[in-house]
Amino acid sequence: MTKETLYDRLGLPRDATPEEIQKSYQDIARRLHPDLHIKPGVTDTFLGIQEAFEVLSDPSLKTEYDEQLPSEAKLPYPVVVSAAFSRKMLVRAFGPQLVYSLVDLNVRQELLTDNRPQLNLCLVIDCSTSMQGVRLDTAKETAIELIHQLQPTDILSIVRFSDRAEVLLPANNLSEQRNADLEIQMLKASGGTEIYQGLNLGMHEIRLYRKANRVNHIILITDGRTYGDEQSCVQLAEHATNLQVGISAFGIGGQWNDAFLDSLTAKTGGSCRFISNAKDIRNFLLDKAIGLRHIYANHVTYHYETPPEIDLSYAFRINPDSTPLSIGSPIILGAVPRKGRLSLLLEFHVNSIPAGITEVTLGEGRISYQTPANLDTATFIQRLEFKLPVSSVLDSSPPPPALVQAMSSLTLYRIQEKARADMARGDYLAASRRLQNLATHLLAQGQRDLARSVMNEINHIQQHQSFSAEGEKQIKYGTRSLILPTGTEDKQL
Amino acid sequence: MIECPNCHNQELPGALFCRECGTQLVDLPGMTTQTIPDSAMNGAQPDLLEHLAPPPPTDVAISIFIMGSGEILPLEGRTEFTLGRSAEGQPVLPDIDLASYRAYEAGVSRLHVSITLGNEQALATDLGSANGTRINGLKIPPHKPVAVKHGDILTLGRLRIQLLIRR
Repeated sequence: MTKETLYDRLGLPRDATPEEIQKSYQDIARRLHPDLHIKPGVTDTFLGIQEAFEVLSDPSLKTEYDEQLPSEAKLPYPVVVSAAFSRKMLVRAFGPQLVYSLVDLNVRQELLTDNRPQLNLCLVIDCSTSMQGVRLDTAKETAIELIHQLQPTDILSIVRFSDRAEVLLPANNLSEQRNADLEIQMLKASGGTEIYQGLNLGMHEIRLYRKANRVNHIILITDGRTYGDEQSCVQLAEHATNLQVGISAFGIGGQWNDAFLDSLTAKTGGSCRFISNAKDIRNFLLDKAIGLRHIYANHVTYHYETPPEIDLSYAFRINPDSTPLSIGSPIILGAVPRKGRLSLLLEFHVNSIPAGITEVTLGEGRISYQTPANLDTATFIQRLEFKLPVSSVLDSSPPPPALVQAMSSLTLYRIQEKARADMARGDYLAASRRLQNLATHLLAQGQRDLARSVMNEINHIQQHQSFSAEGEKQIKYGTRSLILPTGTEDKQL
Repeated sequence: MIECPNCHNQELPGALFCRECGTQLVDLPGMTTQTIPDSAMNGAQPDLLEHLAPPPPTDVAISIFIMGSGEILPLEGRTEFTLGRSAEGQPVLPDIDLASYRAYEAGVSRLHVSITLGNEQALATDLGSANGTRINGLKIPPHKPVAVKHGDILTLGRLRIQLLIRR
């Protein structure tokens, strides 16, 4: 592995401008200044940052430093970013306006090797009373199947939890996990659901074998709502993100808290899925493991800034694992698969266009990521900017069809979001009307089953003034899955 | 501001879909109704004598006979019907979808014509279709209701349908 460069210390790409170097140094200095911290580790980090700044801010020292950088640091970035816009230009006369961007991140194919990362997985299984029966049985069978499909060098641990947690299978190489099947068979359901207990212990197991050349990931399987420990879970997720550990969740049935687990997993770059039929646990879990194995660039993070007159108002990951992303720098985008792509849809809200400029910077910043299977460089930092020219005439060329296609499905998902917001406000009529629209669109697209679920929910709302717990999730995750493009992906674990 | 043609919600310029009702606000090539040359439409003028109308319906107030397919579709359950063709990504569907009768090739718009049943008479209104509507070969103006009677032949682009109205 290449040593960390001075640019890496400042979180900057190699072609950083003097202004960027200055700004990044000031930002970090404000956070890490020794006057504010007494922990010795932080002071060392700060000294490293200071050294980097002293070299890079001096033109002659910088040139000297750049010349001795190892050649692999000058290779092209392994991830290629392309962005398509809904319009070729902004129109000054419009005043406030919207522009959408479909962003694709692909692996530079000539750099792709056959190396796949090792997996360091922890299954955190809810064993509360409600899991009893087919849910727990399927989870057990799938865990055993997973053990047999993983490679001997992979790491697996299993944590069971109810209102307390215990390690069922301590983290270890699979070649050492001889009695795993028996242990898993012993799992019994009892007690309540305290997700923090499970995640915390899972995090402990993951950390024992956490390495940069592994994909380190916690997979939570639950069917219940956790009470009172949500805040601790969020803190744990932030900690996991800092350690580059992902968290994904599978929620079974109607009773789990989907909004909570959606935001928790999105924070770490993971995914959250709804399982209506317990038998589907198997396919979803194995698909997830396959997806993790085929990660090329992991923990892709976008640090960005927008000018005051621009807002990045919505961000959605289309592929892999379609999910809304939390807005605000930095955004954890997720992972770029070896084949296929990481696709995002961004909505920029242009409030005004300053007089006299011919090009608007919608957002600028950098993405950072690691490539666990190819550790030539510790962290890649790559510039990512969105710019559009300003015009005085209307551009009538149609938006790219792929973007319209994605927006078409995303609009349905957002109508669903709005119907939920209507319900939260107690506006049942508005919610029903919105769901009627949704059902019409779904029928027009041939999604008869989902349209029927929506119609059933409208009836439920009219009779009970509330969503049914399961129907609400069915519609949310159903409309979300429409956005996922169908593609040919690797199916080999 | 731009206005959604379906629900009149105001959206910012640049919006691709109405956030309220999901109507697509931009046209893509291939999604618009194809324009058919006038000469082709003249050839579609119906010869009334050739088509003896099937008997008027006895169970429902009005049916439409899709000429050339031999199929009769009853119009049931309400007093106003829109006729057109469904297309992918189309937000507002016509009540009567003619897509399976080669409506696209015939130049039928997505929302082409509406038929309203009054107490005394039935009215047909062209909904601003790309290729227009003819009644017994005569083009009717858009957005103006025109009285129709049993046996009248409506030509939507090049697709001919005959109205069967119970007396």
